[in-house]
Amino acid sequence: MSAVAEAILETKGLTRRFAGVTALANLDLTVKAGSIAGLIGPNGAGKTTLFNVVTGFYPPDEGSIVLDGHHIEKMPPHVITAIGMSRTFQNIRLFANMTALENVLVGQHLHADFVAKTIPETEAGEVIELSMAGMLAYRALFPARAVWEVLATVARTPRVRQVERKAVEDSLRVLEFVGLKGRHDELARNLPYGDQRRLEIARALATKPKLLLLDEPTAGMNPHESQEVVGLIRAVRDQLGMSVLLIEHQMRVVMGVCENITVLDYGEKIAEGPPEAVQRDKKVIEAYLGSAGVRGDDDAAEA
Amino acid sequence: MRDRVPGLQALRRVQSGVGGALSVARERSDRAYGSVPAMLRLALIAALLFAVPYYVNPMSGEVLFDARWLVVFRLVGLYIMLGIGLNIVVGYAGLLDLGYVAFFASGAYLYALLASPVSPAIDFPIEDVRWLFWAILPTALVLGAVIGVLLGIPVLPLRGDYLAIVTLGFGEIIRLFLVNKTDVTGGSQGLYRVQAPPLPDPLNDLTVSAHKEWYIFIVIGIFLVAFCAGRLRDSRMGRAWEAIREDEEVAASMGVNTVKYKLYAFAMGAAIGSLGGSISAAFTGSAIPDSFDLLVSINVLSLIVIGGMGSTQGVVLGAFILIGMPEFLRFREAADLLDLIDPLVPFADTRDWAVQIRDNRFVVFGALLVLVMVLRPVGIVASKRRKLEADWAEQTAGAV
Repeated sequence: MSAVAEAILETKGLTRRFAGVTALANLDLTVKAGSIAGLIGPNGAGKTTLFNVVTGFYPPDEGSIVLDGHHIEKMPPHVITAIGMSRTFQNIRLFANMTALENVLVGQHLHADFVAKTIPETEAGEVIELSMAGMLAYRALFPARAVWEVLATVARTPRVRQVERKAVEDSLRVLEFVGLKGRHDELARNLPYGDQRRLEIARALATKPKLLLLDEPTAGMNPHESQEVVGLIRAVRDQLGMSVLLIEHQMRVVMGVCENITVLDYGEKIAEGPPEAVQRDKKVIEAYLGSAGVRGDDDAAEA
Repeated sequence: MRDRVPGLQALRRVQSGVGGALSVARERSDRAYGSVPAMLRLALIAALLFAVPYYVNPMSGEVLFDARWLVVFRLVGLYIMLGIGLNIVVGYAGLLDLGYVAFFASGAYLYALLASPVSPAIDFPIEDVRWLFWAILPTALVLGAVIGVLLGIPVLPLRGDYLAIVTLGFGEIIRLFLVNKTDVTGGSQGLYRVQAPPLPDPLNDLTVSAHKEWYIFIVIGIFLVAFCAGRLRDSRMGRAWEAIREDEEVAASMGVNTVKYKLYAFAMGAAIGSLGGSISAAFTGSAIPDSFDLLVSINVLSLIVIGGMGSTQGVVLGAFILIGMPEFLRFREAADLLDLIDPLVPFADTRDWAVQIRDNRFVVFGALLVLVMVLRPVGIVASKRRKLEADWAEQTAGAV
C-alpha cells in the first residue's frame, strides 16, 4: 500500500466455466490500493461469480489472481482471508444463531490466535513466506501446536484470556464502527434487516482485510439507509485505510461512492472507468436497456 | 452422623439448582466465556451422581448406600463419558459420526493387550497393573486423538450423510480387524482376565461392593471430561466449530481453517471415546470384539439425540434413560411398582412388563426416539443454541 497507484487486487485472463456456461471470460480487473471500486452489470453478468472465484470459493479455470503481491488462485479461502481480503454476501449469510458479538468474534478468528505468537508466521505466512525447509519444519510442528492449542484452551491460560479479552474489545469496537453499538448480545437473526447488513460488514472488517468485497450492501434498503451505508463505506476507506470493491445495483450508490467502475456482461468486461464515463458508455446502456436504450438520455442507466 | 450429610447436601443442591436453572433458562449472557453458572451446573450434575445411591431407611431414618445403583451407574457413567465425547463431534461441530465405537474399541484393546495374561501382543504378563493403568489413561487419550485424525483426514471432505456412511464403515472395519487379526488381538474370543488396578477408596467407611471405587472414579472422570468439553466449547475453538456447523463456507471465508478445526473435533471426540474404552476394559475385565459393534455407536448417538444435542445435561439424562432404564427394570422396586399398578390395568399382567420392556428395549428406544423427534426435536434438555435453531426453523417455516 506504499505506492499510490499500486494494485491491491489484479486479475489477468480470469476464466470460470460452469458446465457449458462461461461465467467469467478472460477477465482483467484491477483494484487500486486505497480506492473504492465498483462492479456493475445486469443480473447473471458474473459479478458474484467473480467474488466467489477471487475469495477461493471456486477455483478459476484459467488466469491469475494477485492479491497484495501474492498469487492466490490456488489458495483455500481461509488463507486468502489471512492475506487480506474478506467479503460480505448478497443473500445475508450471518451465523444466524450466534450473537452479533460472536459473529464478529468469528471474524476475529485469525487475530485471536494465541498459538501464532509462539511461531513466527501465521497460517498465511506458512504458505507464502517460508522456504521449503521452513515450511516442512512448520508442518512437522503441527501436532505440537495442535496439542498446545487444545491444552491452553482447556487450561484457559492467562495468555488465552488476554487474547480473548482483546478479541472481545476489538469486536465491540468494530460493532461500534458500523453503528451497532450496544447490540452485541442480540442474536444475528433477531436484528433488523439493515443491521444484519451492517453486521456482515462488521464481521468482514474484523478479519482486518486490505481489500473489502461488498456484495450488494444496500440491497433492499430505502434511500436513507443506503446513504448511511455509503457513509460507512467511505469511513472504511478513509478511517481504516482499506480498499473496497463493491457490487451494487443502486446506481445512485455506485455513482456516488465509486472512483472507478467496471461493467460486466455475460462474464465479459464491457466497460471500465470513472463513473461519468461509464454512465455515458453506449455498450453499458445497451447491456442494461437493450439496443433501443442507446438513443436515451444519460440517466437511462439509472432506471 | 457423617453418613447423613451427603444426602442432605444433595437435597439442598437439588433445590437451589432447580431455582437457579429456572432463572438462567431465559438468559443468554450466561453463555459468556468462563461463566460461573456453567461450572455450577457441572458441579450440580456431579453432586447428584454422587448422591443418588444414598437413600433414607424409612424405619430407622438412617442414610444408607444402595450398592445396586453402582452396577447401573458404572455403565451409565461410561456412556455419559462417551456421550460427552461424541457430543463434541456431533453437537458442537455438527459432524455426524456413526463409527464412534472404533475409538472406544481402540482404547479398550490398548489397555487389554497390556494387562491381560492371554494377550498375544506381549509375552510377559504384567503383574502389577497399578502404574500401567494410570499410564494408559493419557496414552489412550493420545491414541484416540491420533486415530481420530487418521480417520478424519480422508473423510473430512465429505459432508452429512456421506460422512455418516464412511464413519459407519470405519467402525465395522475396526471390529472386523479385531476379530480376524487373531495373532495380534486374540480374535473373536477376545481378551479376558484383564487385570484392574486397585483404586483409591475415599468412601471407605461405607460397606459396599468393589464397584464403588469404579463408580467414584467414573464420576470424577465425567466431571473432568465435561469440564474440558465445556472449556473447548466456550473458546475460540468452540466458536470455530459453531461457525462451521452454521455455515462452513462462510466460516472458511472468515479465516477459519475448517479442515483443521473439524480434525480437532474428531480428535477430541475420539480421545474421550478411547479413554472410555480403556476404563471399560479395566472394569469389565475383558475386551471382546462382539461388544464393539455398531450398536454402541447407535446407543451413544441416540442418547445424545434424546437427551439434547450439544447439551451435557442432555447427555446425562439420555444415558440414564437409554442405558439406565433396562437396568433399573431389574430392581425390586420396579417389580413392586408394576405389581402395584396391576389392578389398575385390566387386560394385561403388568408384572411381565419389566421383562417385556427389557427384552424389547430396542423397540422401546425406537418409539422413544420417534416420540422425542416429534414432540421435542431438540432433545429433552435442549442446548440453548439448538433450541434457538429449532425455534428459528419453526418461525421461518411459518413465514413461508
